[in-house]
Amino acid sequence: MGRKSKQKQKIILPPELPPEVPEDEIEVSDEDLQFVNENVDYAGFVSGLDTTSITKHVTRVADLKEDALERLYERRLQKKKLKEEEEKEKEKERKIEVDRVDALPVKSLDGQVYYRTLAEKKGGDGEEEDGGGDKGIVRLTKTERRAKMKKSKKEAKKLGKQVENTEQVEATPQAAVLAEVKEDLTAEATFETKKRKLAELGIALLADPESNIKSLKEMLQFCLDGDDVLIKLGLLSLLAVFKDIIPGYRIRLPTEKELEMKVSKEVKKMRFYESTLLSVYKAYLQKLVLLEKKSKFQHVAVRCICTLLEAVPHFNFRESLLAAVVKNIGSQDDVIRKLSCSAIKSIFVNEGKHGGAATVEAVELIADHVKALNCQLHPDSVEVFMSLSFHEDLRKPGEPDKESKVKNKKNRKRKNAEEPSQLQESDRKRSKKELTAKMREEVTADYKSAVFTPDVKEQRKMQSDMLSALFETYFRILKHTMLSTAASSQANGTLVDGESGAHPLLAPCLNGLGKFTHFIDLDYMGDLMNYLKKLAGGGSNSDNSSEKCAKGLTVSERLQCCIVAFKVMRSNLDALNVDLQGFFVQLYNLILEYRPGRDEGEVLAEALKIMLCEDRQHDMQKAAAFVKRLATFSLCFGSAESMAALVTLKQLLQKNVKCRNLLENDAGGGSVSGSIAKFQPYATDPNLSGALASVLWELDLLCKHYQPAISTIASSISTMNTSHNQVYLSSTSPQQVFRDLSLEQESFNSKPDLRKSNNKRKRGSGPSTLATIEENLNSTGSLDEDELRKKLSNHFNLLRDFKENEKLRNELDRTTSALQLYEEYKKQKKKTARRGIKIGEKGV
Amino acid sequence: MRPLEEKEMGEVFKKLMLFTGNNLKNIIESPSHEGPDPNPGRYCFRLHKNKVFYISESLVRRATNISRKNLVSLGTCIGKFTHRGDFRLTTQSLNLLAANAKNKVWLKPTSEMSFLYGNHVLKGGLGKITDSINQNDGVIVFSMSDVPLGFGTAARSTQDCRKCDPNGIVVHHYSDIGEYLRDEDDL
Repeated sequence: MGRKSKQKQKIILPPELPPEVPEDEIEVSDEDLQFVNENVDYAGFVSGLDTTSITKHVTRVADLKEDALERLYERRLQKKKLKEEEEKEKEKERKIEVDRVDALPVKSLDGQVYYRTLAEKKGGDGEEEDGGGDKGIVRLTKTERRAKMKKSKKEAKKLGKQVENTEQVEATPQAAVLAEVKEDLTAEATFETKKRKLAELGIALLADPESNIKSLKEMLQFCLDGDDVLIKLGLLSLLAVFKDIIPGYRIRLPTEKELEMKVSKEVKKMRFYESTLLSVYKAYLQKLVLLEKKSKFQHVAVRCICTLLEAVPHFNFRESLLAAVVKNIGSQDDVIRKLSCSAIKSIFVNEGKHGGAATVEAVELIADHVKALNCQLHPDSVEVFMSLSFHEDLRKPGEPDKESKVKNKKNRKRKNAEEPSQLQESDRKRSKKELTAKMREEVTADYKSAVFTPDVKEQRKMQSDMLSALFETYFRILKHTMLSTAASSQANGTLVDGESGAHPLLAPCLNGLGKFTHFIDLDYMGDLMNYLKKLAGGGSNSDNSSEKCAKGLTVSERLQCCIVAFKVMRSNLDALNVDLQGFFVQLYNLILEYRPGRDEGEVLAEALKIMLCEDRQHDMQKAAAFVKRLATFSLCFGSAESMAALVTLKQLLQKNVKCRNLLENDAGGGSVSGSIAKFQPYATDPNLSGALASVLWELDLLCKHYQPAISTIASSISTMNTSHNQVYLSSTSPQQVFRDLSLEQESFNSKPDLRKSNNKRKRGSGPSTLATIEENLNSTGSLDEDELRKKLSNHFNLLRDFKENEKLRNELDRTTSALQLYEEYKKQKKKTARRGIKIGEKGV
Repeated sequence: MRPLEEKEMGEVFKKLMLFTGNNLKNIIESPSHEGPDPNPGRYCFRLHKNKVFYISESLVRRATNISRKNLVSLGTCIGKFTHRGDFRLTTQSLNLLAANAKNKVWLKPTSEMSFLYGNHVLKGGLGKITDSINQNDGVIVFSMSDVPLGFGTAARSTQDCRKCDPNGIVVHHYSDIGEYLRDEDDL
């Protein structure tokens, strides 16, 4: 058996693997199977002996012995040529006993050791010995190796022929048996064996990548196979292997010049290893990119690409990986998109892995992608920018100048020092000096490329590239949104429904702008603010069409625009206090357009906080207008929204003492009311609303709110004193309050007893319907749900009846009045007709 | 006293437009609650001795009782025509403009006096500024407590303001309430 495996190994050894090897293997193993079947007591012997070799293999001590054996075999091969079949059989029997000690079992992925079935063992044996043989060869010098290779090839050819012959000879008597076995070996079995082979190859590679590097190619062959499942398995196992064995540096293939140079065999070995790895990796990537287009393999391929990009962003061919991932970043498929996004994010977050170069590439690629697809992408694709990080300390502009100045100074000094001495120096010396200088430059360049801490200047350049690509994307999205909304407003609102989804990237874009505002160049600021203002206004300036455009951009998006504008201002313009009048006007109008179900209350609360609570000063008129509007607003909406509005209102009143005139009970506002003598609730400009002439009567109603928090804050606001200036400012923000209350509201409904007591206290004099509800509620404690439901349905039925009744009555009234009108009209007509007749008579 | 001619009206509106922008509509259309009439009348412009007045209609009707020679002033004087025929806004128009201002600038308390003596507004004295002011726009100047101090034209846009040095001029002086004292005789 050892002899046979030996022969087989010889066949496998050459790198250009003949594809018919597996068939060969199968046939040989069949023979063996037969052989073992004939000598049954023999098989038991095999299993009994192998345990010792397992441990040897695991600890890899076996390799040594194997080598020795290997050499022995080869010597024998040289001595003995081929022999007759019987002789071989005999020899086999003899050798097996020797071989038994080293017979290597196979350890599969799940950790089980296979040595029962001979076919498998055969395969495993061949594999392991292959590896061992490789090693043995590698240790020899090159020339020797070549010679051996040639020899072994020749022998293999010969042997192959002979084996074929013998097999043919064998085949005739045992054809029946063979056919039977072949039938047994169904497609499933071959699949199993292939799978197992794949696993073996993978494990061998992981165990010792340097010596088994050639089996990478073999693994790649599996991926070219026709079977879908096998291709997938091949791809995934190659992925696992690559993830493990790819080195932590970028492989640079040796130039021709370097190839000519004499190198030690270690270096040679290394080069061979690297070049094989690289070529297989390249082929693998090409295959992946190819398979990614087929829907069958898309998921697997994308997963492979993403994992590779996450694991080895520093390695060669990163560009193609990145390009493939970025292409999928806006994919319709959720799984693919999420994978791609997370891969890109990991690149952004783990900059240490690749030194930041990949980040720049990724950002630029995404920018190009957005440009190519005209901003019609999934929001996730721009959302990934949020995980970008920039180094703030790199932005110091004074640093490079200083460095260069110092350098110049040094140079000048050196020059001054050199000039007098240079005259005395001979030419040879000078040339020597130049040479050393050159050398030094080279060394520093090498050092720079090798050193891990990145160059500051380079990093700054990378960062500026990244920023320009980033903001290019953002501005492109803004511009595109603006153009599309303008187009929709021109289209007279007929396509409004389709248009609403036309700017999916706006929300993440605004978020990103808010996050990275402090990196925007001041020169772009003006344009940015203009864009934002137009977007906040729904894409148009005139009041008439703003309602139309509001459908193009949702209220939350417009609010977001306002927020971003304020963030931009705040982060950049501490030196100059700019009053963003336009955005205040927008906010003032947007408060009216807000609908609790449709729009995000969070955004509104944030806008209130950033624009009204945190801004330092307000005009009196504007503040008063906002106070009035917020009070009106808080009457109409849910408790969370109104709470946020009230907190803002309170802070506004605390800051603007004069606005507390609104709390006084005389309309007109007195001397502070300004030129506008009357409150105009529908004015679009807060400065022209004349809110100071009004009274905050809303607070009195809000004091009776069912929500205890709101009623307390309303009453505390209404007792605020005009003369007394409160220094204390409440620390709660509208956002926080909104969140608290919207959470509380959910739990609020599940606590009927709390509500009951509140209701009882505050609605003692409520109308009778409320009283009945309360009764219902009171009885809920003891009654079960069914009854409650019945009562509620009764109640609501009653209410509906009331309403219907009212509607009917209204209709009746209307028809009767119409009838009356008609009769009057008739009467009048008759009168006029008579008069006309009379006049006619007179005329006559 | 007579209504303005077409050309004169154009001159006046051009100047007002510079400072108020679209709010000019409010100036013209705002109702006046003066006089015994229950229905609010309108305001109108009248020319008298080269000066332009902004008056409610009811006051105009009553002013006709006084002879032209004896009539010194009525309503609010917002400006006057020079001998060349140009229209010039005077300080008295400030309240009207401030209520309908488009662009505003707030002064720090330290630089208020300087402006009231007729100097330009420097960047160092700027407390707050409306965004998106363009060069040569009309600007109303306020104190930090929202008291209108005067008006002028923007020497540079808001964007440029950020970059200029603290001594750079932001608003060219046009008129201020200090004129009530300085030019008491002329007004």
